[in-house]
Amino acid sequence: MAKFLEYVPGESFLHRMNPCVKLIGAVLIAIACFVTSNLVFLLILLAAALVMAASCGLGRETAGLCKAVFAFSLILAVVILLTTPHGMPLVPLPWGYIGTGSLLAALTVVVRLMAAAIPLFLVFYVTKMNDLTNAAVKQLHVPYKYAFTFTSTVHFIPVFMNDMAGIMEAQTARGVEFDGSFAKKVRLMIPLCVPLLVSSVRKTNSAAIAAEVRGFNLRTRTSGYKDYPLHGEDFIAIAVCALVLAVAIALAVVG
Amino acid sequence: MIEFNEFSFRYREGAEPVVRDITLSIPDGCFVGITGAAGSGKSTLTYAINGIIPHCYPGDFYGSVTVEGCDTVDTSLTDLSRLVGSVCQDIDSQMVSTVVEDEILYGLENFAVPREEIPARVDEALASMGIADLRDRTIDSLSGGQKQKVAVASVLALHPKVLVLDEPTAELDPASSVTVFDLLARYAREHGTTVVVVEQKIALLSDYADMLVIVDEGRIRFADTPDAVLAHSEELLALGVNVPRSTTLMNALSAQGLYAGPTVRNVAGAAAALKEVLA
Amino acid sequence: MIEFKNVSASYDGELAVLNDVSFTVNNGDFVAFVGTNGAGKSTTMRLVNGLLKPTSGEVLIDGVPTTSLKTSELARRIGFLFQNPDRQICCNTVREELMFGFKALGEEGSEAEARVDAMIERFGFDADAEPYLLNRGTRQLLALASIIVLAPPTIILDEPTTGLDFRECVKVMDVVRELNENGTTVIMVCHDMEVVGDFARRVIAMTAGRVVADGPTFEVLRDGRVLKEAHILPPQVTEVSLILGREAACPAAVAEANTVAQMVTAVAQACDREVEDVEVEAID
Repeated sequence: MAKFLEYVPGESFLHRMNPCVKLIGAVLIAIACFVTSNLVFLLILLAAALVMAASCGLGRETAGLCKAVFAFSLILAVVILLTTPHGMPLVPLPWGYIGTGSLLAALTVVVRLMAAAIPLFLVFYVTKMNDLTNAAVKQLHVPYKYAFTFTSTVHFIPVFMNDMAGIMEAQTARGVEFDGSFAKKVRLMIPLCVPLLVSSVRKTNSAAIAAEVRGFNLRTRTSGYKDYPLHGEDFIAIAVCALVLAVAIALAVVG
Repeated sequence: MIEFNEFSFRYREGAEPVVRDITLSIPDGCFVGITGAAGSGKSTLTYAINGIIPHCYPGDFYGSVTVEGCDTVDTSLTDLSRLVGSVCQDIDSQMVSTVVEDEILYGLENFAVPREEIPARVDEALASMGIADLRDRTIDSLSGGQKQKVAVASVLALHPKVLVLDEPTAELDPASSVTVFDLLARYAREHGTTVVVVEQKIALLSDYADMLVIVDEGRIRFADTPDAVLAHSEELLALGVNVPRSTTLMNALSAQGLYAGPTVRNVAGAAAALKEVLA
Repeated sequence: MIEFKNVSASYDGELAVLNDVSFTVNNGDFVAFVGTNGAGKSTTMRLVNGLLKPTSGEVLIDGVPTTSLKTSELARRIGFLFQNPDRQICCNTVREELMFGFKALGEEGSEAEARVDAMIERFGFDADAEPYLLNRGTRQLLALASIIVLAPPTIILDEPTTGLDFRECVKVMDVVRELNENGTTVIMVCHDMEVVGDFARRVIAMTAGRVVADGPTFEVLRDGRVLKEAHILPPQVTEVSLILGREAACPAAVAEANTVAQMVTAVAQACDREVEDVEVEAID
């Protein structure tokens, strides 16, 4: 299985699209999700996102991702459920009530977050990190240093996660029981941040040196070897995403 | 040609110099193996060649180090990088790309190699490390040995005059270690590249290196052909440097008066010498 | 005693990294696992101490499946020295580091203190030193010490000599040998065949998640089929004897020698015979 936010090779329509278009499109859709609260519209977007994921053979990765986003949005949903007394009262609470409106609001939050998150994550699954940054540097004129910082950060997330897993494994072998309550787990993990920090500092330092001896300082906007031409499909994709945003704004104004 | 002239270096945070009074010249095309006990200063010697010292780690720099006539202190790290290709110890953090091909492209793009030359350079670099079939693989999906080959290929694509490697086989199994050394040695022979490699695996170094440098407490104790250096087995062991088991074997036989030939440095040498003894 | 019964395992339920592996390690054994990276050795080690649970088959420690042993019970039975000591070390002083295991198991007390003191004395550690400032070899020794201070009946060593220089390597392996002589079962993953030949009494060779050979060290390391299949190079003296053994005239003792001492004795014998022959001729 692909690791967190890591490129999955493929030849699908989304894989072949221009990296910048993918990024802009995903951002437009994400904005659209946040400007409207129309549940039907959000559900359509979510369904479309899932269809897109399935179309490039990333059903499994996306399902895993959905679970994570779902868990996170559920926490928000519960908070909303308990703090927004709207609609017909269903369950009385000491400080208010849970109503049909609260349920709807909570559901909207879950659907919105998932509909917004999936396209963004999908961008990383179907685009090589280098293509994304090189295209951003070339076409969107993002300064290379920022692009490189971003790539390195994303590049190091799995490395650090792997490190943390290794550290926890080593401590488990010494009898530290991580399974248990969340609070206990956190308490046990805090001292382990020291070894993680030590190894991170070492790694980032050697990464910086390694990049420098391979000519990092010489790199300019035009250094990238690959070109990222825009095709007809790319214009259509952007137009569709812009349309989605327009509809979302219209719905927000009308609603 | 790499020349150390009375070179000493003290890291800013260190009390003592880590290397001192180093005078050594490495001819073009030489395959040099540097070894020594932990903390002997062997890595510092490679940093002095690729310019990481003094450009990345500040400290007191005495004497001089020149690579192809360029003084490493006066030449910028970027300019030195055109001459010296470096493969660091931690290959995972050295990688900047998700896909093998992009990793090879990275240096080529930075050093502004003409566009029309790039495809051939990529092909050549991949072929010289025997990894043409890995071109489109994600780096994450590679084994340690494959990653090491990618790291080396990404540097070879830049056509360095000198290649510096810090413990390139530390994470590899013996079979992959031998393959990496084989490929390196062949490439160096064909292109006249000078190779400087720091390595703990003495058997591997003795087998491949033209020159073996033994560092102890910041000073060079031996710098000669492997045969000449291994003739001092006792002293090497006292310095905390192992010798190949073949060498130990033939030394034990000489001590018994059963063998009187020259020092042996690898299995092939020991087998050949023993055949003579037994004949 | 550790038993693997038809164990298969995988990460994330994907491709099996271990395929139908069975073996038994008896108390007091010194076993080395050899094979290329990715052959499944480290996975096997994780299974032994229950960090990983088998997808099928059973791993038994003294007859109890690892799946029904708690973390602390596993830690008491098996000490695990990881390849990278920095993943293990997490305390501010050497003494705390050595106490860490007792704390995790809830066994602090005068007995623990005494054992920690003995360990500090034996390894010559500076009790108040900061572990991260020690050099790599000393950190490796500290990691080892913090495991053996708990006196587990079995220790697992994942490439204990990688990254160490010769002297440090000898130090670590001397400690391991002594433990084994005093009854500790040792299971080690090791790439350095000289170390395997010098220390292990039994070798299990793996390739592509399977066991391809399991037997006395040199029986395995002299088996041409195994060497080829598992991509392993035998220790140098063994390799020399294998090369010489291909000659028809090679004396049996030379063709079977595995250590420097054996080879020297064998060559001496072979030469003595010649000397005797010469003498016989001279007498004639």
